[in-house]
Amino acid sequence: MDYFVLGYYTLLIGASCLAAYYQQRPIFMLLFSITLVSFVMGIIGGKEALWTTTVVAASIGLAAGTSYGFREFLINISGRETQKMLRTAPLTASFGMFIIFTYAIMGIFAPVIAPYGEAEVIGGAFDPPDENMLLGADQLGRDMFSRIVYGARNTVGLALMATGAAFVMGAMAGMLAAVKGGWFDQLMGRTADVIMSVPSLIFALLLLSIFGTNLTVLVVIVAVIYAPRVFRLTRAVAGNVVVMDYIEAAKLRGEGTWYLIRKEILPNSTAPLIAEFGLEFCFVFLLLAGLSFLGLGIQPPTADWGSMVRENATLISFGEITPLIPAAAIALLTVAVNFVVDWMLYRSSGLKT
Amino acid sequence: MTEKKEILLKIRDLRIEGYSDEKWIEIVHGVDLTLRRGEVMGLIGESGAGKSTIGLAAMGFARDGCRISGGSVEFDGLELTTTAEEDLRALRGNRIAYVAQSAAASFNPAHKLIDQHTEAPVYYRIRKRMEAQEDAMELYERLRLPNPREIGFRYPHQVSGGQLQRAMTAMAMACRPDLIIFDEPTTALDVTTQIEVLAAIRDIVDQFNTAAIYITHDLAVVAQMADTIKVLLKGNEVEEAPTAEMLENPKEEYTKSLWAVRSFKRPQKPRPTSEEPVVSVQNVDAAYGPVKVLDDVSFDVYSGMTVAVVGESGSGKSTTARVITGLLPPTTGRVLFKGEELPPNYRSRTKDQLRQAQMIYQMADTALNPKVQIHEIIGRPAQFYGGLKGAALKSRIDELLDLIELEPAKYFHRYPPELSGGQKQRIGIARALAAEPTFIICDEVTSALDQLVAEGILKLLDRLQKELNLAYMFITHDLATVRSIADEVVVMKQGKVVEQGPKDVMFTPPHHPYTDLLLSSVPEMDPNWLTTLLEERGVDNIGEAADK
Repeated sequence: MDYFVLGYYTLLIGASCLAAYYQQRPIFMLLFSITLVSFVMGIIGGKEALWTTTVVAASIGLAAGTSYGFREFLINISGRETQKMLRTAPLTASFGMFIIFTYAIMGIFAPVIAPYGEAEVIGGAFDPPDENMLLGADQLGRDMFSRIVYGARNTVGLALMATGAAFVMGAMAGMLAAVKGGWFDQLMGRTADVIMSVPSLIFALLLLSIFGTNLTVLVVIVAVIYAPRVFRLTRAVAGNVVVMDYIEAAKLRGEGTWYLIRKEILPNSTAPLIAEFGLEFCFVFLLLAGLSFLGLGIQPPTADWGSMVRENATLISFGEITPLIPAAAIALLTVAVNFVVDWMLYRSSGLKT
Repeated sequence: MTEKKEILLKIRDLRIEGYSDEKWIEIVHGVDLTLRRGEVMGLIGESGAGKSTIGLAAMGFARDGCRISGGSVEFDGLELTTTAEEDLRALRGNRIAYVAQSAAASFNPAHKLIDQHTEAPVYYRIRKRMEAQEDAMELYERLRLPNPREIGFRYPHQVSGGQLQRAMTAMAMACRPDLIIFDEPTTALDVTTQIEVLAAIRDIVDQFNTAAIYITHDLAVVAQMADTIKVLLKGNEVEEAPTAEMLENPKEEYTKSLWAVRSFKRPQKPRPTSEEPVVSVQNVDAAYGPVKVLDDVSFDVYSGMTVAVVGESGSGKSTTARVITGLLPPTTGRVLFKGEELPPNYRSRTKDQLRQAQMIYQMADTALNPKVQIHEIIGRPAQFYGGLKGAALKSRIDELLDLIELEPAKYFHRYPPELSGGQKQRIGIARALAAEPTFIICDEVTSALDQLVAEGILKLLDRLQKELNLAYMFITHDLATVRSIADEVVVMKQGKVVEQGPKDVMFTPPHHPYTDLLLSSVPEMDPNWLTTLLEERGVDNIGEAADK
């Protein structure tokens, strides 16, 4: 029984008593169940198990604290309308925003942050981490950390472009179809059906092997594959808007299609579209990472998280976690985006109280 | 109505709060209510007066975002505000029933009427399924639904609105509750259908000696139904009195103003003899696909005059408006504008032709884009047709806001959802005026509004007509509105013009039988009106009369 274990239990029991005293039932229940579980874990796993628990709890606490701080920061710097909106944001959403913000900074300032270039060979293959290389070297002796930082720029940037392109195409087609109706609607709808009927990864592989792999082709192909989903959503949302009397009033005024789309329909369908943007971004991101993993996406020596997982995959058999780092970067961003999207969906569905 | 009857519902100092803008705001400020067995109480007031909220509180229920914050609700000796949710559930549908405004929205469209009817009595083990079905048929018969033995096996969309509302009443009766809460059960119905439902409700409440709370904003209706009337204003009680006394001798100013609301009437203008009509609809036939909806419709609208088009829903009033605006090209016939033929489709009309004829919609909520600021909504037609920009546009918008009696500085940058119903309707009017039209179609512009607000809108429209010499085509099913502002009346039924002429001629007998039916169906303030009318018509053929 050393001071750590003693402090550990004292802190937990003290905190649960405080929570109970201030009638914070959920907090008390949480703390006290952790205490009880810790008894068992301490007996079985010894001091190390308690250390792990402490580290996990501390990192969750740190994440929550960061999210809370980041939300307060956002509230302080934003305008009145946004403030009201942000106050209702759950911590998960602000955590997501914080992660996205970090990734954005990482991508934008990649050359400044990364200590070495993305294609620069500075050590031996699979060198372990040292004071020069934070995360060690990859299979060609390039700095893993620098490549992760550049990867944020390449992978996320590409995914953003592809999703943006898919949205511009899909949303425009969807709103046009909703306004025009008739044969145009049918044509667009059936085209979308055809594209959607082919599994997206297979379709992408097929098109990439036909047109070759360069960045432009990649963006266009991914955009074309994902545009139909956006089209279907936009058409459904816009379909609900075009039956409104204010659309009829605008039509009777003699307004053109472009005005209808821009001024009347778009402002009334932004919420679901933004939510959809977040979801699609995740899918596109995963598809691009998958393509890179298969060797058809972003080509070496450009750093890209998907291909980095593949290139370092052999290390997994030596018990190294290096290949998991880019994978974790992908996972973290996906989770973060989904947190934010969940919150937006919640808002746009009118469930807010 | 005798004082000896047992008290069924006793509400004391009821306070209800609603959650908005991140804080709780009190919306019902201490209302008392006492209801005895077999009594019917009418709750009356404008929207936002807290009528429905109090009605629901009588079941111990508060809507999402609302909570009962004080006072007591005692139902048959049981304090509802402190009763557990499960016990309340056992009470609802069983001993207290609720009839909602829109039966169409309250029935589950996926189940047959009778299955929904028998659900409650079977669930509460009051009756076996077969007995409950038998009972349902009997109730349908008492409510004078056609084919009482078969109608229950239809789906909600297969019966008409009035029948659905009666089936809903029957359903509320399924467990023979002690108390029924009727929340505006006839507001969404035509006058002719309204009578059937009113008569049915009154009979059945009498027969089973059920107590009822009848919520409505229509005084004439409540006069037929209630033993006592309670007037509410903004969550406060104004006054309460037995019906006859309340009608003859209201004490409070507010009540008097409610009673006097239909006093607005303007002199009728004669039709000009020399002038050409602004809009002339000539022998128009129109169809939605194979279904013919308009049959040889003709009428003229002269400048500075109001033509009211009346009829039940489905009579083709709104379709006529769609033909005039060019949304629905007619199959035969034509529409003349100042003697010139308008292209049948709005797409082929010129900007000027479109500008001349404007439209004001029934539902201001859907007629104004919720994401666009007021100045842009009003300014767009001025910008689009008149090419106004910058300062000229701004002064024009200010002028228009002045015209509709809204302060420009205050409303310039607002969004439609921040306005009240009446204000939204005013914005709709301003948008029509911004185009500087000569002819405006008003499609049921007041039917979604409270009576006081509606009167304000009618006065505004009348003033604008005088100032700007506008021609109105006024579509409505409310004959009181027609009486107050029309110069000429066109009565439509099933796509045909049944009768037309100047208002004074139309409102003095002899009428066409259908006009007569419409006119006699408008509820009057006399509490004996319904009884007398039913006697005159003969109780059994109400349904027939309406179907004729």
